[in-house]
Amino acid sequence: MAGSNIRRKKLATSNRISAYLLHHLQSLMFSLRKIYAAPATTIMTVAVIGITLSLPGGFYLFLKNIDAISGDFRSSSQISLFLDLELSEKQARALDKKISKMELVDSTRFISRDKSLEEFRQDSGFGKSIDTLSSNPLPHTIIVEPGEADTFAVRNLLNSLQAMPEVKIAKLDTEWLERLYTIIEIARRSVVIITVLFSCAVLLIIGNTIRLDIQNRYQEIIVTKLIGATDAFIRRPFLYGGVWYGLLGGIISWLIVEIGYLAISGPLGRLNLLYKSDMNLITFSFHDFIILITSSTLLGLAGSWIAVARHLNQIEPT
Amino acid sequence: MIEFHNVTKRFEGGYEALSNVSLKLDEGHMAFITGHSGAGKSTLLKIIALIEKPTRGQALLNRVNLNTMPRRRVPYIRRNIGIIFQDHQLLFDRNVFDNVSLPLHIQGYRPQEIAKRTRAALDKVGLLHKEKSLPITLSGGEQQRVGIARAVVHKPMLLLADEPTGNLDPELSREIMQIFVDFNQVGVTVLVASHDLDLIDDLDKPRITLNRGKLILNDLEDIAQEADGGWQ
Ligand SMILES: Nc1ncnc2c1ncn2[C@@H]1O[C@H](COP(=O)(O)OP(=O)(O)OP(=O)(O)O)[C@@H](O)[C@H]1O
Ligand SMILES: [Mg+2]
Repeated sequence: MAGSNIRRKKLATSNRISAYLLHHLQSLMFSLRKIYAAPATTIMTVAVIGITLSLPGGFYLFLKNIDAISGDFRSSSQISLFLDLELSEKQARALDKKISKMELVDSTRFISRDKSLEEFRQDSGFGKSIDTLSSNPLPHTIIVEPGEADTFAVRNLLNSLQAMPEVKIAKLDTEWLERLYTIIEIARRSVVIITVLFSCAVLLIIGNTIRLDIQNRYQEIIVTKLIGATDAFIRRPFLYGGVWYGLLGGIISWLIVEIGYLAISGPLGRLNLLYKSDMNLITFSFHDFIILITSSTLLGLAGSWIAVARHLNQIEPT
Repeated sequence: MIEFHNVTKRFEGGYEALSNVSLKLDEGHMAFITGHSGAGKSTLLKIIALIEKPTRGQALLNRVNLNTMPRRRVPYIRRNIGIIFQDHQLLFDRNVFDNVSLPLHIQGYRPQEIAKRTRAALDKVGLLHKEKSLPITLSGGEQQRVGIARAVVHKPMLLLADEPTGNLDPELSREIMQIFVDFNQVGVTVLVASHDLDLIDDLDKPRITLNRGKLILNDLEDIAQEADGGWQ
């Protein structure tokens, strides 16, 4: 007797759970059907969300590309050593060998005075006028590749190289790099601000759409409350509606950004051809895509939650 | 089942729709509320259905105090009640079947069970052949019967009906009242507000009459004295 009671209770609970899941599924399908039934409204809302989110998305991608390019620069920070003019080529080459064996040094490249002049003659286009010079004004040069990209280590290396008597000038051109980093940092913070602002905009858009939706279904809410629907039951289809708006808006914003980058990649290819460079545009990674979609979906849920919390409780039958 | 102890309902603006009403309707019984228009019949039913709260006095349903009912428990109380509204309160964007099955959906019944019970309720009010129709295409009496089917589909313990025969012809009114009597016979407590006195006379059930919010006639067990001074 007791056993059968317990069994019955268990059955009732599992029934209840499956009924609960069933209602979630029904709410999901219901909100989907509503989207399908009113495509114009849905498309407008979703498009606005998509466009709004594409701005922070695009900006983020831009930053990611700049970051990648600057990363290339970072790893190629070189030190140029201009040697004393009195130094013979033999002495200079000996110094080059010595430096290349130094601890913090990855590799070195020696450019003799004659070679420097030759390169300058070719690159500058001043060939004729250089020929009139009585002596070569250029020193022997050693290009040093530091072993580590770490700024501190590179600075140390620079100082010890500068201290060598044979070295007239040791030059590390980091100023513009630091400037670039500052600009990137500014851009990074701008992305954060833009993302926050535009997320708020999406929250408001979705909140407002759901609010209108609630108003349109005023009668239905009243009737379901009168026959014993819980707040959670009434809330559910609206929350799913917000989730759909967020999800679809996220996908649209992703498409917009991808298409935008496709449009940019054409001219970039030509640029690469011209400069024999090898710049590749980075688009959203799978990871980025998941983050974008998840956050837009969560924004949809949050927006509809706000609308529901503010407006659903106010509707009471009289 | 229903107990009112000196219930007063004063609306904003000071109008007293119910004044010091005490009454008691036992489980399994059936009664009518009569009175002129504006006497407070709907207000009395709304207090039982937790749509309005008494300004003073106490309203009990199954010994549970309705005055202090927390909001989150209201839906579960309402699930034990079937309400037939003066203005049918049907949803016009869905068909008869979906209207009637709504309480079952809300309470999480399985689809097969929903179909079975909904058809049984529709059959009871003679509208099985209209299950696919939209309410807008039905006559007033048919809409009223859809409302009744929806109120009884989940087998409530208590049935509240507000002018269920509002604009119906005598023949149909009689049929609908008979449906309520049938429900009462299988144990459902029934409270019907109506001003169709001829019909009520025929049915020989206890009557409560309101006049400007005051109880002027009570065929039910009189609890007014016993409550004197004790309830406030
Ligand atoms: N929400 C409200 N705010 C203010 N006054 C109200 C409200 N609801 C009802 N009343 C007033 O309370 C009185 C009783 O109303 P109620 O609806 O209970 O009457 P009734 O007996 O059902 O009348 P009828 O037979 O016309 O339906 C009426 O005078 C009405 O104007
Ligand atoms: Mg009324």
